[in-house]
Amino acid sequence: MTITSTPVTGEATKTWSGRSMPRKEDGRLVQGQGSFVDDGGMHGQGYAWFVRSPYAHARIVSIDCEPALAMEGVYAVLTGDEAKAMCQAPFFAIAPPPGSLMQEWPLAVDKVRYQGDAVAVVLADSRETARDAAERVVVEYEPLTPVTDTVAAADPAAPLLYDEAGTNVAWHGLFDYGDVDWALENADHVVKLDRLHFHRFTSSPLECNGAVVDFDRGTGVVSVLSNYQMPMFAAMVVGPTIGVPMNKFNFVSKDIGGAFGIKIGFYPQIAALALLSKKAGRPAKWTEFRTEHMLTAGHGNERTFLDVEVPVMADGTILGLKVRAFDDAGAYLHYEPLGAVIWSQVVPGCYKLKHVRVDYTEVVTNKCPVVPNRGYSRMQHLWLVERIVDVVAHELGLDPVEVRKRNYVQPEDYPYETPNGCIYDSGDLPRSLDIALELAHVAEWRERQRELGTGTGRRIGIGIGSTLDSGTNNFGQSRIINPDLPFSGNGEAAFAKLDLFGEINVNLGTTPQGQGHETTAAQVAADILGVTPEDVTVTTGFNQANNSYVGFSGTYASQFAVSGLGAVMGAAQKLRHQIVKLAAFALQAEEDEIELEGGSARVRGDEERAIPFIGLSNMVYTNNAGLPASLLDECDLNARYVYVPPFEVPDTVAKTGNLTLTYASQVHVCVVEVDEETGEVKVVEYAAVDDCGNRINPLVVEGQVHGATGLGIAASLYESLDYDESGQLQEPSFYEYHVGTAMDIPDVACGDIESPSPFTPNGAKGMGEGGGAPLHAVCAALQDALGAGAPVVSESHNHWARVYELLHRDPGAPRGVEVVTRTAEPGAGVESL
Amino acid sequence: MGERGTSHAVTVEVNGEKVSRIVAARQLLVHFLRDTLGLTGTHIGCDTGNCGACSVIVNGKLVKSCMILAPQVDGATIETVEGLADGDSLSPLQESFHEHHALQCGYCTPGMLMSATYLLRQNPDPTDEEIRRGIRGNICRCTGYVNIVKAIRAASREQASGGRPVPAAAGEEV
Amino acid sequence: MLLEQVEYVRPQSLDEALEILANDDGAAPLAGGQSLTNVLKNRVASVDVLVDISRLDDLAGIARTADGGLSIGACVTYDELDRSADVRQTHWLLGEVAAHIEDQQIRNKGTIGGNCCLSDPTNNLPPLLVALDAVMELRSRAGQRSVASADFFKGYFATALEPGELLVSVTVPPMPAGSGAGYTSLAVGADAKAMVRAAARVTLDGGTIADSRLVLARVAHVPVRDTDAEARLNGGDATEESVAAACAGVADGMQPIADVHGSSEYRRQMAKVMARRAVSQAVAAARGSRNGSKAGGN
Repeated sequence: MTITSTPVTGEATKTWSGRSMPRKEDGRLVQGQGSFVDDGGMHGQGYAWFVRSPYAHARIVSIDCEPALAMEGVYAVLTGDEAKAMCQAPFFAIAPPPGSLMQEWPLAVDKVRYQGDAVAVVLADSRETARDAAERVVVEYEPLTPVTDTVAAADPAAPLLYDEAGTNVAWHGLFDYGDVDWALENADHVVKLDRLHFHRFTSSPLECNGAVVDFDRGTGVVSVLSNYQMPMFAAMVVGPTIGVPMNKFNFVSKDIGGAFGIKIGFYPQIAALALLSKKAGRPAKWTEFRTEHMLTAGHGNERTFLDVEVPVMADGTILGLKVRAFDDAGAYLHYEPLGAVIWSQVVPGCYKLKHVRVDYTEVVTNKCPVVPNRGYSRMQHLWLVERIVDVVAHELGLDPVEVRKRNYVQPEDYPYETPNGCIYDSGDLPRSLDIALELAHVAEWRERQRELGTGTGRRIGIGIGSTLDSGTNNFGQSRIINPDLPFSGNGEAAFAKLDLFGEINVNLGTTPQGQGHETTAAQVAADILGVTPEDVTVTTGFNQANNSYVGFSGTYASQFAVSGLGAVMGAAQKLRHQIVKLAAFALQAEEDEIELEGGSARVRGDEERAIPFIGLSNMVYTNNAGLPASLLDECDLNARYVYVPPFEVPDTVAKTGNLTLTYASQVHVCVVEVDEETGEVKVVEYAAVDDCGNRINPLVVEGQVHGATGLGIAASLYESLDYDESGQLQEPSFYEYHVGTAMDIPDVACGDIESPSPFTPNGAKGMGEGGGAPLHAVCAALQDALGAGAPVVSESHNHWARVYELLHRDPGAPRGVEVVTRTAEPGAGVESL
Repeated sequence: MGERGTSHAVTVEVNGEKVSRIVAARQLLVHFLRDTLGLTGTHIGCDTGNCGACSVIVNGKLVKSCMILAPQVDGATIETVEGLADGDSLSPLQESFHEHHALQCGYCTPGMLMSATYLLRQNPDPTDEEIRRGIRGNICRCTGYVNIVKAIRAASREQASGGRPVPAAAGEEV
Repeated sequence: MLLEQVEYVRPQSLDEALEILANDDGAAPLAGGQSLTNVLKNRVASVDVLVDISRLDDLAGIARTADGGLSIGACVTYDELDRSADVRQTHWLLGEVAAHIEDQQIRNKGTIGGNCCLSDPTNNLPPLLVALDAVMELRSRAGQRSVASADFFKGYFATALEPGELLVSVTVPPMPAGSGAGYTSLAVGADAKAMVRAAARVTLDGGTIADSRLVLARVAHVPVRDTDAEARLNGGDATEESVAAACAGVADGMQPIADVHGSSEYRRQMAKVMARRAVSQAVAAARGSRNGSKAGGN
């Protein structure tokens, strides 16, 4: 175990992988020389501004663009109807009916379904003129009753967002593993929770969305310079809608100012911009500003859990859980209902729950569409599980540490198969917890907690958050939602080449947004090619012209260390193989005598017989007369490799299968101080222990842990997106949405364990999303501060007023929890568990 | 009386270079820097003056360039992230941010560096709490601020132990 | 971040500024701009011409008045208040409250005049100025007049300023002998917007509170003096129990505006807590014969 590392600069090992190396990306970024989307542009571009609905739900009666078009400098205005007429089909639907009947077009058609829904888009010669003109587009609306409550939306009597679907339920499924009825009948206790609610928030990257799109009418090529984080997904969704084949797209991204999943959601804007460009005959540049982002760019999933029942044995063994889950997709199904299956990557959380039944309903409401948000869909379920474990401990008077340790998947259990067939690869949760408790000085805080007691004005609370960061998902799980979908497996591509003068270049299929891919890819390639990371140039960003992509390319779902670096390793090894072959020919040696070091190939043990990489490049590119054709055939010094993780198609009826390749784990411990008079909460100590297998660059890994922790703490105490009954967002900018600042977020003590994954090429596990651990830990700390007999902390977001209510709730009022204890002799009939 | 109008002549010194432009009265300083002068290192992260990505130093004072109109800075001396390094030689804070992994996506970094530069000019030996107060107006979504605080602390210690100081302010404070 | 078309002018003198403000209903003074710029960005108010008063000497600087009070120019920034030796010497808390307004960038630009004239109920300085019996000095072409701070704030974004009139300075009288001030906020985050604030000034006569000011913010659109609570405090013991008893009825009958951060009832309860804490701070400060408590803060 190491606790908080500092950069290693010396020659600690012969290899570069595994070292804490400051990043190659930093030089340009600290000098303001990064290339973010708004920094760039295309010749002749106009500036786009979307006309957006002030209503959450309304019929579009008419749109008058004339006043805008009459303005000097306005190139074009595109309305929803016009856009639809230019399209071949609505956007591809992941859901089967009725979800597939909830159609979406590039711009709203007939109806608007959330505040901020785009009805038209203006193109003008300046940003200012575009906005001025957008205000002159006159839209007449007929307001309709908005649907804002997630659970009520599913009521057949609720107003409909999509008349043609006949329901607001986009998808419904029963996930039933083990025998939860049996467990509930035979358990010593059944802990029942009325309602738990995971709130809506966004990790809101600091750079908003943006794109410059050119629809070249001469070639039919659609060029997209954007900060989209999953470009080929956008191409696959947008292409069939606007009638553009994949080989006529050219998606490019450079530096991206954070994404966290949110930047998977703006394909409708890209489609609209492409059509606008086509109409206007010039590139369309759109730079989203924060208020537009908060209203429309996508929020994290809000989920309500009802009728939770938890069978527990007297010794604290938790047998499973039963729950009805209602997930709120917002107005359009941008990535949903994929979240309706993605949570099931972590059905039992960190625990050996065997009997689980989740009745899952995905609804649409008149709110901003949800999109993947750091910890996507698993975080919500992991929070539920962690709340359950915590409440069980409190209600049964058991030690929250012991209950967790008793129920954790144990180190000797790996590889551990969950009730739905997922394979947890490796880990040591009990030890992670011990380290976290020590790092957070829990023993001292317990002492302090006892001293303070309650009623003294301040209370201490200590909470644990155990979570999983499942990475490299199997897209076959989408078939559990819709068996007709043509998706399964996963993959990522990389290119490695020796350039004309012997330079090493690596192209990725990923779209890094701060994860340091240029550095870690260089570390990995350097080890294979016998050079230093400085010698490896990793192309910044994504460029479709590099041909270094597959359908699932991008940066999302905690997978780079596995799929991205798996591809880099494969490509570098292929290139190495070619280099060795050429060198063996040039040096008249056997291939197994060749070693690569310092940018040269040489014969082992013979200093004299060596050839620098430039010499090999010369042989292939510029001086190849007389080289055997067989050698030229095999050695073009351009190596493309696609890493494909080993997956099977899941069983779509039983809803089982291995849904993701790796499971990094995190155990966080949080200590809070609560002001009894006001409900104010201050995080006074925080520790995070991360286990993501072999770490390629511990400095980068730790940075991800810090970041996920910061966002989670901010979400638990400060950040929430709330709609009023008329469907108006109450926090539409950073003025209202209090983003956690350096004064709000505490320092984090980090510890780590490295449990290598047996399933990946490098023993690494994807990480970075963090599984929402701080939300779990802060809630648990609040529960601890509330003490015995207190109400259940039932919300994932706990601002001061909510904490105050929990502290001061009438002792006779419902606590949101009930424990039913079986009267028969405890433990009877559970041997077969 | 000063000229009244929707456009104004503005002369400023930016990172040591004097520039004159006609600007629209409604143009924000950040758009002047980015769109008119092409200094795209100064970023935009919000539209309410809360994120600090656009922080620059005007006449020695740290400000958010999205909260000032371009004509307001006529005659001012402006420092942006592009002016922090001395040629190819990074400033001590830039070095420290790199060494301590105090940036991930790098989008908040220019503003963060300007705030840190200002802080160390005002207070060469800040406590962690003072550092956190000093960057309170700069939002970072990637780092949880952990390594940023660490990097600023390290730069201040480096300076205290005889290392290179943070460059002095350009222009007078007015 | 794209504003509507607007004119800008930077008058060379206060008289020029007053001239423009008098002649144009659509003219708005621009000082630090830390609120006005946001208003313009969001296009929620239309302004014809922005009158940049930020460089006018007449509106700058902090001066000691003959009676030992402070005369603070309308364009004095929060940062200047924080760093002013004069302010810290006699009105320590005013500097301290200014030091906790949002962040360094805003403190470097935002002005005391702007903080008051916007009359945004979330602003930090108005309740404190009312508690300190500050006087707002207003000038127009017609001349100058003084308005007590308690009468200056008229409503949500509304003040006693008449068209064509400009706040030129704020006069803060000296702290009465034996007095101290306190200020507390229940903020949504550190140095962030507050749900409730309370500012207090008490003057002690031995162990008794001889006189008091208790001002609440965000329970109504404007800072409100709770004269009932003041009456309960005055003449009472300067003990925690007595202060708590006097503050128990604070905000009763008021209907603070609810929002996502808390209900009206919660804010009412919090007003009592903030009031008690502010008064207790003020008592402690008075005991320490400080004009504002070190523990004050925000």
